[in-house]
Amino acid sequence: MAKELPGYGTINVPKDREVPFGAVTPAPVCTQNLFQTSNWRIVRPVKDDEKCTRCLICYLSCPDACWIYQEKEDVMEWVAGFCKGCQICINECPTGALTAAPELDFPDGVIRLEKPF
Amino acid sequence: MAKEQMMTGCRAAAEGAKAAEVEVICSYPIRPYTAIMMELAKMVANGELNAEFVHGEGEHAQLSVTLGASASGARAFTGSSGVGVTYAMEVYSPMAGGRYPAQMSIADRTLDPPGDFGSEHTDAMSTRDQGWLLGWACSPQEVYDNTLINYRVGEDHRVMLPQMVCQDGYFISHIPDKVTLGDRSQVKEFLPPYRPIGPLSLTHPVSHGPQIRPDQGAPMDAMRAQTFLAVPKVIEEATADFNRIFGRNYDPFLEQYKLGDAEIAFCIMGAHANTCRTSVDRLRKKGVKAGMARLRWVRPWPTHQLANALGHVKAVGVVETSTSYGGAMRGGNLIHEVRASLYDLDKRPLVTSFMAGLGGETIWPADFDYMAKVLAEMVKEKKTKNYVYWIGM
Repeated sequence: MAKELPGYGTINVPKDREVPFGAVTPAPVCTQNLFQTSNWRIVRPVKDDEKCTRCLICYLSCPDACWIYQEKEDVMEWVAGFCKGCQICINECPTGALTAAPELDFPDGVIRLEKPF
Repeated sequence: MAKEQMMTGCRAAAEGAKAAEVEVICSYPIRPYTAIMMELAKMVANGELNAEFVHGEGEHAQLSVTLGASASGARAFTGSSGVGVTYAMEVYSPMAGGRYPAQMSIADRTLDPPGDFGSEHTDAMSTRDQGWLLGWACSPQEVYDNTLINYRVGEDHRVMLPQMVCQDGYFISHIPDKVTLGDRSQVKEFLPPYRPIGPLSLTHPVSHGPQIRPDQGAPMDAMRAQTFLAVPKVIEEATADFNRIFGRNYDPFLEQYKLGDAEIAFCIMGAHANTCRTSVDRLRKKGVKAGMARLRWVRPWPTHQLANALGHVKAVGVVETSTSYGGAMRGGNLIHEVRASLYDLDKRPLVTSFMAGLGGETIWPADFDYMAKVLAEMVKEKKTKNYVYWIGM
């Protein structure tokens, strides 16, 4: 062979950017941080605890399991990392305890993330 | 040692799956690959093979069932032909990205239109960039062998990728040829049981196929590309082991036929390589120094091996059995990669391509004579006049 052919280069994925093998993650967990999926949310549901009857319809209707009933405090807890702002819970809430608020109104709004999409 | 039997490529693929003791099979009919599933259904019904046989409601479902089966830790098998291969298109990338080493056995068929039943590599070639291992056999024997080799390579923990084992429809899938099946001890020595990584489990629950963030996309792609850098070594090891255990003589990536002193060479894959081989012999009798390089793998593409095998040749004719309409050479797919592989050589061969065997047409010995004539003219004139020649058109 007259000369050496080019190689394929090397690929070094930085440790802090590595993705789990085949994107397989432990489950079930409520708020695992490996694959948060809320960064395209435009609005978020805001609850009024006075109006909320803890009927759990939001818990049942959420496609991403983003409402959890905290038994000890007797409140509904919203999971920010996975709520995509689809507003199904807002539509389904029988007492009008949930309203849609723009992400821009919040200091932790996803629109302010350092790594935007 | 088992003795030779006559069988079709479809039967050979089924025998390969049976030897690999596949645990889940998912079928949906489309000819010509259907005969693979017919053979496997018989084996399951007769109690020769202990596998779950699932009928999918389409090829997309077939691949999805196979993905699920592989995720649960089963050795899974499926297959298709022609438009069936393209109907399942969405599932290819998730299957490779999720690292499910299932196998899909393909008996090639044209795409629509016009719904031609003939063999053509376009179906499987259209999936070549989805992250699967992809390769072609040129005989029923090689179909059987590749079925086992692919499971071994795909399930290796350095790889963990799905595999597409292709054979030309009809030419291989339906024409019987001599096949020597391995015996149980040989298969056992060659192919260890499938050891899944992070399978679905009741005691250790995991989540497969979650949504990932855009900033995780690039590392995910890079890690998939990184895996492909490791594949060639695994293929070499597996082929060497296979040759030793089963007494075969495969080159891991390229069959090199009379290339040593060749001045012109055909680069080809699949069934038509058989006619090509005899054409090389005939041409040599006439004093033409011809040779042949037959690709056994398309993914990973054997860049360096091809450059080393063809570097000294004066003109290379790539025999295409698939289409790439509007592509760089306005012909098929292979020439792009062959030319790219040869580009960095100090002395490059002239390279052209021949569109042949499309729609299931036979490539006749006379066609190879014509191709050899074109290549000889290129050598004489020291230039490539056309990127592509359409045989018979």
